[in-house]
Amino acid sequence: MCLRWDTFGMMSLGLILGMLVGALPGFTTVMAMAILLPISFFLHPLVGIPFLIGIYKGGIFGGSISAILVSIPGTGAAVATIFDGPALTKKGQGRKALEIALYSSVFGDFSSDILTLFFIGPIAIIALKVGPPELAAIVLLSLIIISTTSSGPAVKGLIMCFIGLLFCMVGQDPLGYMSRFTFGIFAIKAGIPLLPMLIGVFAIPEILGAIEKEVSSFMSEKVDLSKVGERLKYEEFRRCFRTILRSTGIGAALGACPGVGQVVAAFVGYASAKKASKHPETFGKGELEGVAAAEAANNAVNGPTLVPLLTLGIPGDNITAILLGAFVAQGLRPGPRLFAEHGPTVFALLVAMLLANILFLILGYLTVPLFARIVTVRKSILLPVITIFAFAGSYVFRSDPFDLQVLVFFGALGYAARKLQFDVSPMVMAFILGPILEYSFGQTVNLAGGNLLHYMFIDRPVAAGIFMLIPAVSVLFVVRGVQRRRKARIQNSLMKGGEA
Amino acid sequence: MNRKTIIRFLLVGLILVFVFAGTALAAKYPKKPITMIIPFSAGGSHDLNSRVFSSIIPQYLGQAVVVKLMPGAGGQTGTAAAVRAKSDGYTLIFTHNYVDQLQPLIEELPYDTMKALVTVWRLNYAPPIVFVRVDKPWKTLEEMMDYGRKNPGKLQFAHSGKWGATFTPGAMMLSKAGVNAQFIPYKGGGPAVAAILAGDADFHLGFPSVIIPHAKAGKVRLLAVAGDKRLKEIPDIRSFKELGFEGGNMDRIIMAPRKIKAERLQILRDAFRKLYDDKTFKKMMGRIGENMEYMDGPEYEKVRARQKEQYKELVRKITGINLPSR
Repeated sequence: MCLRWDTFGMMSLGLILGMLVGALPGFTTVMAMAILLPISFFLHPLVGIPFLIGIYKGGIFGGSISAILVSIPGTGAAVATIFDGPALTKKGQGRKALEIALYSSVFGDFSSDILTLFFIGPIAIIALKVGPPELAAIVLLSLIIISTTSSGPAVKGLIMCFIGLLFCMVGQDPLGYMSRFTFGIFAIKAGIPLLPMLIGVFAIPEILGAIEKEVSSFMSEKVDLSKVGERLKYEEFRRCFRTILRSTGIGAALGACPGVGQVVAAFVGYASAKKASKHPETFGKGELEGVAAAEAANNAVNGPTLVPLLTLGIPGDNITAILLGAFVAQGLRPGPRLFAEHGPTVFALLVAMLLANILFLILGYLTVPLFARIVTVRKSILLPVITIFAFAGSYVFRSDPFDLQVLVFFGALGYAARKLQFDVSPMVMAFILGPILEYSFGQTVNLAGGNLLHYMFIDRPVAAGIFMLIPAVSVLFVVRGVQRRRKARIQNSLMKGGEA
Repeated sequence: MNRKTIIRFLLVGLILVFVFAGTALAAKYPKKPITMIIPFSAGGSHDLNSRVFSSIIPQYLGQAVVVKLMPGAGGQTGTAAAVRAKSDGYTLIFTHNYVDQLQPLIEELPYDTMKALVTVWRLNYAPPIVFVRVDKPWKTLEEMMDYGRKNPGKLQFAHSGKWGATFTPGAMMLSKAGVNAQFIPYKGGGPAVAAILAGDADFHLGFPSVIIPHAKAGKVRLLAVAGDKRLKEIPDIRSFKELGFEGGNMDRIIMAPRKIKAERLQILRDAFRKLYDDKTFKKMMGRIGENMEYMDGPEYEKVRARQKEQYKELVRKITGINLPSR
């Protein structure tokens, strides 16, 4: 039923459109889906919905393309890819990075889709069990795991984390809509917009850094258009495979919890890979495993996020909300009776999702060399173009000129941080996770009705359990860190002893 | 004739051409695509409704309608942009009554929607339904309100955002019934519905297309429909009016700047009127589960003024703030 040629055709079109849109900074996957939604209204359900699913899957990978090549995260989900992607590109391994990103994305997506297909019932139950207290606990635990992985001295990481939390407080508070830290400026009442901030702190310092290098040297730079970088070797993929598996598990588990999302999954996947690695010091300096970890995790979220949509008719995020629109316009109303009424169609759609992953692999394989070619463009042309994209991308996101000021401000901040050797990633993580934590904690306090401890331990034992895990995990991390440092010291002294 | 005079003639000619072209443009509004600002995020019900009408109305308007999502600050970012835009009729806003009539009462805003915007058309309305999970003891709204009165602060009301489309009718209901409930905020209607299904909170007001399937599946019990009328799909469920409450619908409205030329406003209104005879439009609206209860611009202007007064009363009652005369 789903093996129709037009299904494949439109799905491929969707994937390519998604990749392009995702790679353009400022154009988010959500935007592309919203604009192209009406097309699906007038197509057969088994053509229109796979078309949108194609845009969705392609878009998330597309976001990583610009993240890896020019350190502009095309979408929020690609932020964790920035930690290692651009560093690999600088080493001349941009193509390798794109390939590992593609393979990890496809693997993460495919396995999570299979999980979803077989365990739709249990996932639906988990999704319903995760309320505000559980979400608060999961996000806090994620924040702890993530915050211990920043590079450089812990104090600097904490300072940046704190600054990020301060920035996320700006604007209306999420629960009561009271204005905070807006100084009466209307433009920041909605808070600091994420995308201009991301582009500012990641892309602008890169551009300025490249300009700082001796101008004459890069103007006369010789360009070899035939060389697009080395390809990924099988051994390298095998080396990353454990990481990919781990991240897929993390992504799928977090995807089953509504409200967590791809960004958090990518961060946690990355952090866990770094924790588990025998050589954590290579992370952040161009480590293939880093890209694999982030990419597998953010794509593995995709499958389980569809479950609340299909079983309850409740979209977990903007993307699934648009899919809901597409389903509804086709006369398929997601909800408790979807499987009873339209079982075969829904099953065909899920199979089409699996097939989309295979198409995604093929199309990605064909297009990666083209994308990788971008870095072979002369710097004197590439840098101005990236700058234009950085500004245009910040603007198109909300069409608000104020966002350009935000971009410049965070560009300057990112540049200063780089000069002072502060890592901006803890700031960005805190900025993204802060509001989720604040919101779910605020809801929990409201739900508890004044008796938080009783509510947590009697009514919400699962949430309480996760909260209890936090000190245990923290202690474990500290102990491991101390052990590692001691081992390094012993090795050092042994080496010195050898020399003496 | 020397060169200077030739240039002068040319310049005058050019100006005349532009003037005539200008009037010609004015006569044939719209000459270019119309931007429709939506002050909410992608995937919401406004987004979905707009995708339907914006893909069909070009047939009657002769120009495309481009949807521009400008979410932020509960609708204020997009509304401010619509108010700031030129009043040439090429920028409109698709919003709802709470952003338009209630929000300016709550806080200091750089605009006054009543003065700055005028109604083009009310596309339709959505009546929220009060519902609880089936294992809750209350069979009717009166029983739940009684419980609420006897147990102050116990009843948990899951809403989708302060002063929004489910908060306001719920708050109006509770304030009229004299119930002191616990307000639990959720990020939008979806999570609030999930909270009721999971048993996290007691009741919520949800829209028919989402709630009725859950009721048919035997998961939730419906207690009342906001607004004056019962719904066709659930004829046994009493309306707010029958139960002694008032208001509660979310009006999806298309607004233009107040200073728009009268003939342009008329062109827009005529195009929307024609839309309601369009077969595809009818079919699509039916599929997305929305009604087609439109209201003409002038008619809605009256409703708008009336609702504004109602909301003033509500805000005064809930917050205890004596509002400025805005």
